[in-house]
Amino acid sequence: MSLLGQVASIVLNGLQQGAIYVLVAMGLSIILGTLKFVNFAHGALYLIGTYVGMLVALEIRVGGKLQEWGYTTLGLGWGFIAALVIVPIFVFVVGILMERFIARPFYDRPDTDQILLTFGLAIVVQEVFRIMFGGQSYSFELPQSVSVPVTVPLIGSYPLWRLILIGITAALVVTVYLLIEYTDFGLVVRAGTADAEMVRLLGIKISRPYILVFGIGAALAGVAGVVGGPLYAVNPSIGMEVLVPAFLVVVIGGVGSLTGAVLGGVLLGLTQAFLTQFTLVTPWFSYSLSPWSQVGIYVLAAVILLTRPEGLLGSAEVGS
Amino acid sequence: MSDDARTDGGTTVKNTTALRERYDALKGEESTVAVVSIIGLLAFPWLFIEAPVVSGFLKGYESLASLILIWAIFAIGFDLLLGYTGLLSFGHAAFWGTAAYASANVSAYLTGSPLVMVLLGTVIAVGLAWLLGYLTLRRGGIYFSILTLAFAQMMFYMSSSVLATYPGSKTPLTNGENGFTGVSLDPLLGMFELNREMPSILGEFVGTWHYGFIAVFTFLAIVIAYRILNSPYGLVFKAIRENEQRTEFVGLNVWRYKLMSFIISGTFAGVAGSLFTIHSQYVPLSSLYWTSSGEVVIMTVLGGAGSLFGPIFGAAVYLWVENIVSGMPNIGAFWHLILGLVFVVVIVLVPDGIWGLPDAVRRAWGYISNLGGDR
Amino acid sequence: MPLLELDDVVKEFGGLVATDHVSLDVNEGEHLSIIGPNGAGKSTLINLVTRMLDVTDGDIRFKGDSIVALEPHEVVQRGIGKSFQTASIFPELTVEENAEIAALAAEHGEFRFNFLKHLRDYTEVSDLAHRTLDAVGLLEKVDRRAADLPYGDKRRLEISIALASEPDLLLMDEPTAGMSPEETQSTVDLIEELKEELGLTIVLVEHDMEIVFSVSDRIAVLNRGEIIAEGTPDEVQGDPDVQEAYLGGVEL
Repeated sequence: MSLLGQVASIVLNGLQQGAIYVLVAMGLSIILGTLKFVNFAHGALYLIGTYVGMLVALEIRVGGKLQEWGYTTLGLGWGFIAALVIVPIFVFVVGILMERFIARPFYDRPDTDQILLTFGLAIVVQEVFRIMFGGQSYSFELPQSVSVPVTVPLIGSYPLWRLILIGITAALVVTVYLLIEYTDFGLVVRAGTADAEMVRLLGIKISRPYILVFGIGAALAGVAGVVGGPLYAVNPSIGMEVLVPAFLVVVIGGVGSLTGAVLGGVLLGLTQAFLTQFTLVTPWFSYSLSPWSQVGIYVLAAVILLTRPEGLLGSAEVGS
Repeated sequence: MSDDARTDGGTTVKNTTALRERYDALKGEESTVAVVSIIGLLAFPWLFIEAPVVSGFLKGYESLASLILIWAIFAIGFDLLLGYTGLLSFGHAAFWGTAAYASANVSAYLTGSPLVMVLLGTVIAVGLAWLLGYLTLRRGGIYFSILTLAFAQMMFYMSSSVLATYPGSKTPLTNGENGFTGVSLDPLLGMFELNREMPSILGEFVGTWHYGFIAVFTFLAIVIAYRILNSPYGLVFKAIRENEQRTEFVGLNVWRYKLMSFIISGTFAGVAGSLFTIHSQYVPLSSLYWTSSGEVVIMTVLGGAGSLFGPIFGAAVYLWVENIVSGMPNIGAFWHLILGLVFVVVIVLVPDGIWGLPDAVRRAWGYISNLGGDR
Repeated sequence: MPLLELDDVVKEFGGLVATDHVSLDVNEGEHLSIIGPNGAGKSTLINLVTRMLDVTDGDIRFKGDSIVALEPHEVVQRGIGKSFQTASIFPELTVEENAEIAALAAEHGEFRFNFLKHLRDYTEVSDLAHRTLDAVGLLEKVDRRAADLPYGDKRRLEISIALASEPDLLLMDEPTAGMSPEETQSTVDLIEELKEELGLTIVLVEHDMEIVFSVSDRIAVLNRGEIIAEGTPDEVQGDPDVQEAYLGGVEL
């Protein structure tokens, strides 16, 4: 592959990897920015999305307690598109319930309490899935039509699915952006990010937009779970594994900034792709950077946060 | 305002005697804590393993008793940071794990003396705590929590791949995913074989030298933590938790005190991590993973953040559930879920944890009995 | 030499000029009140002195030395105390501990590694704490949880915290906000007493004109970030610019 082809390959892989981060981080960012609520259970929403998506799309052999209770296979087998439609709605509802029963009572509690509560919740959800389905990784198989490779200029053969993923994410980003910029709901969100107190004083009933913010944020994480499922593992720990980079993306990009979340996610994805594929070749030795691929994103996050604490596109400080 | 209280002679004398009384009372308290701790530590293995009725229910075994003490040390130090200073770190596995690996490397390549292992492991943890504290404490609130988590994860991923061996050689440093297995221990102080029993008290079993070694450190952890809490630092920590801005505005360098709190908690974690290597003679990669950070958070909150003894009970309950309940029929598979649920309940309903339970019950009782209305 | 000098201080937030070339001297032992309509920039001025905000331009000198580059806690160490608008206390700590933290800062404010020294060994700390609690009349309530105090007591505690750090200059930001007339009167009496007893220099930001005109030695009137009048209560009362600034709202 030519150098240009290599670069193109890294860019595409970076975008695809970044897409997952962007989807999870967007939801996290608007919840944190508008509601000032720290949601350590956001990964659990991804987890729910990935398992439910798998169950809607396929029929799978189950393990864990479900197997003990007599179920050998479970699932609707309605196909991937059905999952893409149903899961966001399902997780949206979960998000609304979460806002009502978990977030709302804790809005005035200190940040640490919010983190502790949602962290505990994340563990509970994780364990429920582990008990029900067992700790093993399930395989979320894609339909034949999308798992075929296509020919991409400069690179050659590239999995179609990854391109679709980038496309879906881009479409969602645009949709959310339009929502925020051009609707009344979005206006409240933006004003709420700037000054929640003021919005309340103006008499705008804040709880309805809050519910929507949580629901939409959750739905985005759910979609991430569906599209990420085929590429990454479907097991109980995936929720928390996704959460940490997602938080990093949010703070790198700047809390409350949607563009920041997108930028941060893409940056992180590109960094990871670059490190995975790049091999430093000198006349004396060649050193593959791939062992650093996971470390790299943390180093990047640390560097950005230490030099520009408010994030790349952030403005005010949230929290203490 | 009372005019009479302002005659100088009267107030000073009254204040001095009151002061003296309080001084004595508190000094007394310190020795009480020390004595109670010693008795508790001596009786613990017996209660846990051999006492009639109690041990039958608890099904304890010595290795678990030692493990509980090790995590108790970790949790006490963590509580100084969380419960007293109000800072929630999700990355303390960095100190626990680093100290564990450090002392493991010491034993494999330098000396198997348990004391040297703990000493060097702790020193390295302190250095790391200074560095990480300096980097993560620049911003407060959630940024601190996320940054600590991020740095700890960074170290985890480095240890799983790049740092598996010493750079440029094949000698294991962390040994990556398999964990470090080359731990070799020498007898304590050159004399006491760690798995031999200590002399018994009143004819009853106390424990092995291994347990004794760990118990000594636990005792030190308790009394040192108590002294720190009774020192100016203790007051400043609490003030920072209650109102950080005001603390700055009475003229205290809040940042420095936060850093000290972080380093002190890292020191405790370092001691605990080093002892862990001595205990298990193996260092799993998971020592650096966020789950280990999460465990000490749960233990501390469960036991009672903001109290001295709470975290000890939190560690005991957590480890008991993890190791004993997990083996029980029917409910065994649900042990982690149970802990998670109890944790959530504590945060919502009983914020003072196990240690605060008697007070919580008393308050609830008072509330219920007042529901009938006044006569 | 004046105790506090504000020398052509400017503070801009983006395009907004909150403090517009303010020059002001505060002399030792005097009681200066700063008044002005809402949004005049009074709180901004206080925050500049306590270093919660950075000056955009100009200098602030305390006891002759510039303080614009110091950290907030260093400013307090030099001798400037601030009493907050809302009672900024330590809720879960006892009344005694509230005063002790300030006394500790006053007696042993420089950072040191004394985490193994028992706090009770520092008798001068509890002495100072008790003295200031006594001065505000809270000595009987030493063991009460600060959060449980009635609001009036919380404000007294607030003032005692500001006092326990043994300031030479005390900045008070609307100390009687939200108080009943009786509470207001007793707070004012308290401030007067403290000024006499402790030889404090006080800068008071207030809205209540009765108080301002009864206790102040000098008054500075702020409007839209600039000082429009300055002088004794009589001088200020008669100043037409001042009357205009208040637009017939308040009887001076």
